[in-house]
Amino acid sequence: MIQLAHGIVARADLPIPEWLFGWAAAMVLVLSFVALAVLWPEPKLERERRRPLPGGLGRVLGSRPVEILCGAIGAVLLGVVVYAGLRGTQTVTANFAPTFVYVIFWLGLVPASVLFGDVFRAFNPWRAIGRAVAWIARAVSRGELPAPLAYPERLGNWPAAAGIFAFATLELVASNGDRPENVAIATLVYSAATFIAMALYGVEAWTARGEAFSVYFNLFSRLSPVETRDGVVGLRRPLSGLAALKPMAGTAPLLAVMIGSVTFDGAAEAPIWTGIAPDVADFFQGLGLSPQRALEAAFLIGLVGAILLVYGFYRLGVIGARSVGGGFSAERLSRAFVHSLVPIALAYVAAHYLTLLLFQGQAISFLASDPLGDGDDLFGTADTQIDYGLIGANATWYWQVGFVVTGHVLGLTLAHDRALALYDRAKLGVRSQYWMLAVMVGFTSLALWLLSQANV
Amino acid sequence: MLIAHAAHTLTTIAYFLPVVAFLAWLVVTQVRERRRGRG
Repeated sequence: MIQLAHGIVARADLPIPEWLFGWAAAMVLVLSFVALAVLWPEPKLERERRRPLPGGLGRVLGSRPVEILCGAIGAVLLGVVVYAGLRGTQTVTANFAPTFVYVIFWLGLVPASVLFGDVFRAFNPWRAIGRAVAWIARAVSRGELPAPLAYPERLGNWPAAAGIFAFATLELVASNGDRPENVAIATLVYSAATFIAMALYGVEAWTARGEAFSVYFNLFSRLSPVETRDGVVGLRRPLSGLAALKPMAGTAPLLAVMIGSVTFDGAAEAPIWTGIAPDVADFFQGLGLSPQRALEAAFLIGLVGAILLVYGFYRLGVIGARSVGGGFSAERLSRAFVHSLVPIALAYVAAHYLTLLLFQGQAISFLASDPLGDGDDLFGTADTQIDYGLIGANATWYWQVGFVVTGHVLGLTLAHDRALALYDRAKLGVRSQYWMLAVMVGFTSLALWLLSQANV
Repeated sequence: MLIAHAAHTLTTIAYFLPVVAFLAWLVVTQVRERRRGRG
């Protein structure tokens, strides 16, 4: 349960009640749906259209030396996180590790991925170290290394979903999940598990399907017009990266974990949760757990519940879409439309964590100079402070509403385009999208309700 | 206290009214279409 600076201040003087913003957002979605039905009669995103960056810039940015440099930076930062967490002060806000992991890495890389493409792939420390070890092993062995195991199709994105769930548990359930030492230990455990998986299935296969953060940031990067392919950075039609997504086993559960974990983080501040959490904790205490563990168990139940709620709502939309006809199975439709959940996940992350990124994100300037919290000033910025006047409460609310509406309109656009490609008859495709529209309106209402709970 | 709690509950309901109304309309429309198809 993170204690970092969210900077939430009571909103005042909004021109209309907050719940009316929800109704306005729902109307925007309905109008967008009508506009899509009229103005977007054929699928546009399924066709690939790509060109490299001009002047050879694409080749330079995607070149092996740049990739090696970025990977080295990522590996060094991984080392700093572990060292600072284990050897530095255990005061959360004075140690480099918690702010870097929970704010700069977990939150900061999301907009970076949306704007600049899959930047994490270049900076991924585990991929960089895995490739370096593989290169050394090939050089030392002077012969063929045994081939890695074939990645099981049934495994799909399930390991990534489990990894993101584990991270959410550390962030939202564990009592001391932000304690620097615990952040460092979790990093070491995750690194060990990742290297073992890479040894079994190969670095690239594991990175593409199973490594939690690679898959997570890659999903967001598919919204970006920037793409790297065959070592060349280029531009593509926005959203087309998501249309090209090949869902597999575990992709829908992964999106449910992504949206559900943010849902729970917001709901944990709501009276609906704060009212029942003590009773749930009492139940576990009655089973013999300590008060701390009982509370963690209650929060774990809440987190799992939120994920199941999100997954269940999506499946409801899929079953509804199936009911209009077309002969598609629920599983086929679930995979066909799962890519439309990515902009919703982005909307939830952007809206809920906007102030955490803007406020606590500033702390990296003094934490970089004093990573252990022992009085160092490596870059001369140790005396800088967080500027809480960067954005006001009302402006925050407007940005949050903007993110929520934009994300859901993008989701609607992706679903609409996919329906046109999937169904033989355009009319049937549009009718199937009534249910996806219901899902989008539902997620919009939920997002705005969750954001309003911080002000209750 | 009771009034404050009721107001809070009503506000929560207000947030989800659009999706409930839309789902209700969707179900009614689909049931009517099925009846017309059978009739």
